[in-house]
Amino acid sequence: MTPSSRPSGLAALIRATPSLPWFLGALTLFTLLVTTLSEALGTGLVSTSFLKVLGMTLCFCLAALAMDLVWGYCGILSLGHMAFFGIGGYAIGMWLMYARTEAIVAESLANQLIPPTEAEIRDAIGAQIFGVVGASELPWIWGLAHALPLQLLMVVLVPGLLALVFGWLAFRSRVTGVYLSILTQAMTLALSLWLFQNDSGLRGNNGLSGLQNIPGFEALPQAQVALFFFWASALALGLGYLLFAWVVAGKMGGVIRAIRDDETRVRFLGYPVEGFKLFVFTLSAVVAGIAGALYYPQAGIINPGEIAPIASIYLAVWVAIGGRGRLYGAVLGAGFVSLVSTWFTGGGAPAIDLGIYRIDWVDWWLVLLGLSFVLVTLFAPKGLGGLVDLWTARQAPERHGSDLGPDEGALREPEAER
Amino acid sequence: MSTAHPKAQLLEVSGVSVSFDGFKAINNLSFSIGPAELRAVIGPNGAGKTTFMDIITGKTRPDAGRVIWGPRSQSLLALSEAQIARAGVGRKFQRPTVFEDQSVEDNLMMALKADRRPFRVLFWRPESRDRERIAELAETIGLAGMLGRRAGELSHGQKQWLEIGMLLAQDPQLLLVDEPAAGMTPAEREHTTALLRSLAEQHAIVVVEHDMEFVRRLGCKVTVLHEGAVLAEGSLDHVTRNQEVIDVYLGR
Repeated sequence: MTPSSRPSGLAALIRATPSLPWFLGALTLFTLLVTTLSEALGTGLVSTSFLKVLGMTLCFCLAALAMDLVWGYCGILSLGHMAFFGIGGYAIGMWLMYARTEAIVAESLANQLIPPTEAEIRDAIGAQIFGVVGASELPWIWGLAHALPLQLLMVVLVPGLLALVFGWLAFRSRVTGVYLSILTQAMTLALSLWLFQNDSGLRGNNGLSGLQNIPGFEALPQAQVALFFFWASALALGLGYLLFAWVVAGKMGGVIRAIRDDETRVRFLGYPVEGFKLFVFTLSAVVAGIAGALYYPQAGIINPGEIAPIASIYLAVWVAIGGRGRLYGAVLGAGFVSLVSTWFTGGGAPAIDLGIYRIDWVDWWLVLLGLSFVLVTLFAPKGLGGLVDLWTARQAPERHGSDLGPDEGALREPEAER
Repeated sequence: MSTAHPKAQLLEVSGVSVSFDGFKAINNLSFSIGPAELRAVIGPNGAGKTTFMDIITGKTRPDAGRVIWGPRSQSLLALSEAQIARAGVGRKFQRPTVFEDQSVEDNLMMALKADRRPFRVLFWRPESRDRERIAELAETIGLAGMLGRRAGELSHGQKQWLEIGMLLAQDPQLLLVDEPAAGMTPAEREHTTALLRSLAEQHAIVVVEHDMEFVRRLGCKVTVLHEGAVLAEGSLDHVTRNQEVIDVYLGR
């Protein structure tokens, strides 16, 4: 390779991440196909509820991409990433709930002789939202809930800041490996336990609900709302893929993969390893937050159970099954496993009657998932993405006969193969 | 060169001690090296050679003593490993540690002297002079035709060379080299000796080595470590005549 033969810009990006055009093309085709089959704009073969499942799956894929950056590329096994996903959901959910309740309250107070004051409206909103937990005042964390732009900012800021502070504390003390994983589990568990409390200010175990009703678009049928969110999720996934492909293409990608493989060596090259980990961790937390903000309006409800440690473990399982350390692997894993999971747990898979015992997949699906995780880890560490290697390996250069050593005395090929 | 007067030293280690669980790995060790000097450090297993390098590079913090660096007499003890590396101390490990998953070119690119801060690295793209420098380094280490190969595909000797290339790419003032000739063929050793000697014209180099023949060919001042302290220092002939050295090291 001569020094001048390397391309730059987009060409260099595609060269470093050959999957980029394939992935974006496939995603566009998929989006178009689903659109033509949707109830709103197409034949209606894809029902609105299934369209929502597909849109939510795309959000999971985006979260899995973020997980892959942190784990597959940088070697930080975060088992708390769904906390960031959930925070993104709560942040957007607060605005959705506030704005919708505001409209309802305004309507019911409109018949009064004296127009309601601002304070009265606020109190009424508080009573409406917090009636279920026996409170009536809006807690301080709802201070920005009236303004969509501010709350959208929170979707990015809160996960980012939490990751920044948590990461700074953990990485600075050089906590690595399984200890870091345990810490991230503790983080997501603590957050979920806090949210379960009624006085957390986020409605305790009731969570936030009615999120599928978008304020200002009440007249729009759900079929169209669902299609809009599906498009938004597909766009976010495409942009996320592009962003991560860019991040891992250049020297940054080299350094974070080097940190994964030998952190100490990277330090001796002069790189401030903690800073790089913090960058990767925070960036992926922000992307996970955005994924959550797109997911929960489609799910319609968020509660603290969504942030339980098990959710983050699922995320790691998806990435492992899909194949970590490659962006499309994460997307494949999240898409495949979560769709199959929906099929099994939704009663789609026929129960198997063994005579003495009936295997009901709603209960047995988790066993199957756990088993496949163990099998993939043991026998196919490259995951589903490894299947792609079967194809690319056929195009790899044939290196038989090339030298194995620089000079005389090194092994020759027949000796080396013995 | 080996008789350089110690008034303008690049690195001065004085009175350094470190113990692990009561075992004194380094015991009141003092050592200094000038800005353009080649030095071999020898000693039996457990003499503290690796710990000595760990202290200079910031991996291990000594219990006592000082490590003073450069013309501004900066203490290295207050700096992190990465800061010490950026200050100009490069290290080559005994076992070749290249990033096997990445190409030879990417390995060299990562080592290349440049801003190491995350956001600078994120937006960094190689310029033509960076590519020229890499091509030049690849030429020096005999891997010119292999820039696109994965480092994991290289032979042991080639990995050693790649690591030396990465060390050079960092452009350090002081090179700490741990057993550079381990696992190399006689011809490769010759090449390594020549390279180290030519580098020593402008750099300070500390070579830790077991192989006496290799040390003899380096033809430089030798420091003998034993039980964490300097036992003898001088030319190879001088130290090999020292009765204590013969007793603890050569006689075995």
